[in-house]
Amino acid sequence: MSSETQKILTTDGIPLEESLKKAEKKNKIKAFLLVAPLLLYLLITYIFPIGDMFLRSIDDKMVTKMLPKTFKAMEQWDGKDLPSEEVFEAFYLDYRILVKEKTFGKLATQLNYEKNGFKSILKKLARKQKKFEEGNYKEQIMKVHKRWANVEYWRAIKRRAPNYTYAKYLKGVDMYEDENGKIVQVEESRRVHKKLWFRTLEIAFFVTVFCFLMAYPIAHLLATLPMKYSNLLMICVLLPFWTSLLVRTASWMILLQQQGIVNDFFVWIGLVADESRPEMMYNKTGTYVAMTQILLPFMVLPLYSVMKTISPSLMRAGKSLGGTPFVAFWKVYFPLTIPGIGAGCLLVFILAIGYYITPALVGGASGTLISNQIAYHMKSTLDWSFASAMGLMLLLGVLAIYWVYNKLVGIDNIKLG
Amino acid sequence: MKKLSKLLLTLTFALSITSSAFAVTVASWGGAYTESQKLGYGDPTAKALGIDINWVDYSGGLSEIKAQKEAGAINWDIMDVFAMDTITGCDEGIFVEFDFDKDFPPAPDGTPASEDFFTSMPSKCAVGNILYSWNYAYNSENLKNSPKTIKDFFNTKRFPGKRAIYKSALTNLEIALAADGVKMGKGGEFLYKRLEAEGGVDRAIAKIKKLCTDPNGGCVFWSAGAQPPELLMSGEVVMATGWNGRFFNATIGEGAPIVQVWDGQGLDYEYFALVKGGPDEANAKKALAMMTNTEMLAGSAKYIAYAPWRKSSIAVMEAGEPWYKDGKTNMVPHMPTAPANLKKYFLVNADFWADNSAEIGEKWEAMKAGL
Repeated sequence: MSSETQKILTTDGIPLEESLKKAEKKNKIKAFLLVAPLLLYLLITYIFPIGDMFLRSIDDKMVTKMLPKTFKAMEQWDGKDLPSEEVFEAFYLDYRILVKEKTFGKLATQLNYEKNGFKSILKKLARKQKKFEEGNYKEQIMKVHKRWANVEYWRAIKRRAPNYTYAKYLKGVDMYEDENGKIVQVEESRRVHKKLWFRTLEIAFFVTVFCFLMAYPIAHLLATLPMKYSNLLMICVLLPFWTSLLVRTASWMILLQQQGIVNDFFVWIGLVADESRPEMMYNKTGTYVAMTQILLPFMVLPLYSVMKTISPSLMRAGKSLGGTPFVAFWKVYFPLTIPGIGAGCLLVFILAIGYYITPALVGGASGTLISNQIAYHMKSTLDWSFASAMGLMLLLGVLAIYWVYNKLVGIDNIKLG
Repeated sequence: MKKLSKLLLTLTFALSITSSAFAVTVASWGGAYTESQKLGYGDPTAKALGIDINWVDYSGGLSEIKAQKEAGAINWDIMDVFAMDTITGCDEGIFVEFDFDKDFPPAPDGTPASEDFFTSMPSKCAVGNILYSWNYAYNSENLKNSPKTIKDFFNTKRFPGKRAIYKSALTNLEIALAADGVKMGKGGEFLYKRLEAEGGVDRAIAKIKKLCTDPNGGCVFWSAGAQPPELLMSGEVVMATGWNGRFFNATIGEGAPIVQVWDGQGLDYEYFALVKGGPDEANAKKALAMMTNTEMLAGSAKYIAYAPWRKSSIAVMEAGEPWYKDGKTNMVPHMPTAPANLKKYFLVNADFWADNSAEIGEKWEAMKAGL
């Protein structure tokens, strides 16, 4: 049998298969064009910035290019004692070019991230090196400032030799790679980032729990009350939403401080003595209270929208089948609200993990969170690569939580309305 | 990737450029401070030179200008910055380097600009604008005795009660050492020598920790400038460090019973820096020279209690007292640079902080985490 007879032709004489493909293709392009703006938007506002952040966090070409001779000479150096004359000479030659090109400031900034105290000695060296005589650079450089005779500073330079580095990620958890290539912790008095990570997680976790405990009954009430009252209640939930974050934070400060309104009231009704007013502000309590109130609507709304769809007859059925109210609630109602709980908890937790203005104002000594550190390195030290590294670590943390949630509950089981 | 992100940044900034095309744009901190700059010297300069000067608010730091520069769409000409930022910005090539005596006019009596300014500049890219003070204050209604010295701030026996201090280590370490008996030296040079020496920072942090963990003491950390007067007024703390302009506003502006203590004050500075490659660099340079002359700098002190950088400006103010805008307050005694307030002070050392702030910051946070 020939293939000719097998092919079905359309009226134009084109094989049906091809004609169909053509029509499909057109549809596919149309469909793609329809979602293209969204894709482009995601690409521009999400994928590229994150990619850029990642590159920034590992890219260390700038320093590598600034000190080519130094790093070449350093290959022979074991990092134990002060480097040899050759390294000093190579460094002097590299640095002389940077001073001439007026780019030595950038090197100073970069090296100062690695080890504090570089800025001033590099600047001093830039001034003094003009009068250097030929030969014996080691002695001449060491005479400029005593820190140049400290091997730690040379080790710091060597650490910046590779083109790419994961050192910023190590720094984010208070570690660094020492001269033997071992990953070790920084000295104890400077271990701060790990503490901040735990504190951030702790605060986000408890705020989520408090939000859940408070929002569940509210959402239930909202969903079951007659329209007339539930609308009013809804406005009460949303009203703080429309008030500036700073205003709300400041109000809590006025209410809860030791000489504040709430404490005045306690003293007035004789609950506490005037000398022993409880501290509810400028500590973690203050952070929990203020953040829970600010984030509460994000929990109430998803819960409410899910509860609204649960038919009241289900609870009645549960009770009529012999369950106590609690059993009916626990076996019937509660499982049905899980999609809302999941959505609300994820939303609140993710928002809480990135909060920093409120904790900084009401948290007192415990008010510094990881996002404060990111902002500090973005704005003050301009160490954008470290800020990017910490930002990505935070993002990874959120993704990890999302993953765990997916494993435990299932991500399809999430409902915002 | 790099190119694309550059393009994106350019797009964003192209969108954000509005009507500022033919005017000199100054980025400053906003609020009462920018108001004082605008009324004190911005508007008079604009009028005299016949150019528009736009004031935009920003929240400090160099991240925004760095992003503008990376995108190749700079839209600020002049920035009001901290000392540390002038150093970093100069190193990074963001700002223009000045030839100080050539670029800025001398005092009316002919003293060259470099000698008329209160101290030398921290970098070649900076010109002084105002000096403000980190001092401490108390509410006279809440304390029986009046504290007089920086040691009293740490004396919880005579002055029991909580203290409000700044949330980060800046200036806290200096006053801690001064209260711990370290001699200040001229402009605080001994303090910084001690801080740079082995164990100096730890000693200062230990002193603060002792104050914060003392059952008779305790610390509240403030982060916004409005907090110290507020904390004093509500009785939340008995003493608070803060910025002298804020205390002045509470006392003179609102009649609060707040008293400032100038002993052991830290003089800090605000500078102007000229952005390299700004939209109208030539006019911006002219405007900057005029805004920082003797008369103009004195102008801003009419509206706010921060001291003009030029020594010759104080003479202008003295001749014109009462200088404050209410027409009855003499301004010179409220200036951080008034001789009576300069008996024991330190100049905040920007080089020291530019060098060490990251590591000290880690130690400071670790201390706070252990409270």
